[in-house]
Amino acid sequence: MQLARRPRRAGFMGLTPLIDMIFLLLLFFLLGSDFVTYGQSRLAPPRGTGGATSAAPPVVITLGANGALNWNGAPIDTAFLRRETAKLTAQNDEQIMVLMPAGAANVQQVTDIMDALQGAGAQSITLERDVFDIDLADF
Amino acid sequence: MQLKNTRREMKSIDLLPLINVVFLLILFVLIAGRPSTNHPSGLEVARSTVQSEHEGAALSIWLKQDDGFYLSDIKPVTLSEVSDLVVEKGIAAQGLPLELIADRRATAKQLLAFRRAMAAAGVGEIRLKTELKSDATP
Repeated sequence: MQLARRPRRAGFMGLTPLIDMIFLLLLFFLLGSDFVTYGQSRLAPPRGTGGATSAAPPVVITLGANGALNWNGAPIDTAFLRRETAKLTAQNDEQIMVLMPAGAANVQQVTDIMDALQGAGAQSITLERDVFDIDLADF
Repeated sequence: MQLKNTRREMKSIDLLPLINVVFLLILFVLIAGRPSTNHPSGLEVARSTVQSEHEGAALSIWLKQDDGFYLSDIKPVTLSEVSDLVVEKGIAAQGLPLELIADRRATAKQLLAFRRAMAAAGVGEIRLKTELKSDATP
């Protein structure tokens, strides 16, 4: 007996699971990815702890909690800081810049000043405590 | 009079353009993004305008907004504990740098205390992690 062959229907591939998976992948990568670019500011060792030595005397920059800046004791603004740092580092690229932030200043303020110094060409920046913050119990 | 058959034919939506676009989106995210960092929740890294290369360090320490130092997200550690770990791991002996991931709202007092404690432990270079501002100059 010959059976009649049914003609096969062209198989239709369901696209819905594929689309679901692609959307899930997209969500995973969107949530798991980070688009922020990170960098690093390098802090040289403090003076007297085996850090770099410089032929030129270090420049002491103090930063107040209110953002006030002093250059070797004299009040300055950021433009002066950039200009004078660029002048000094052009003469001596090993010039040590000592940044003395007030204890109440925040990390962002310190980073801003370090940015200004680095932008002006300073390569050796150290952090020291502001003389007014020194705890006598340390001695 | 014969009326026209008004029954609409079912039209299938062409899904290929949609799939193409979604694949392109995945490619964009894969290329432009990178795996997210494991910063503890709420930590906001200081913003910087100077573009610099971010390099790995032997040990990363977090300084959170509460002025506490953390090695994990659970409990704060003291600076002497960090110093002991640095000595134990031989970081200072090998001259390896440390990375400090500091919250921008933390106080400079803690930053200075960390710098001095690590210098006493023999660590030379400390790298302060920063986040590049969008208007930064290369």
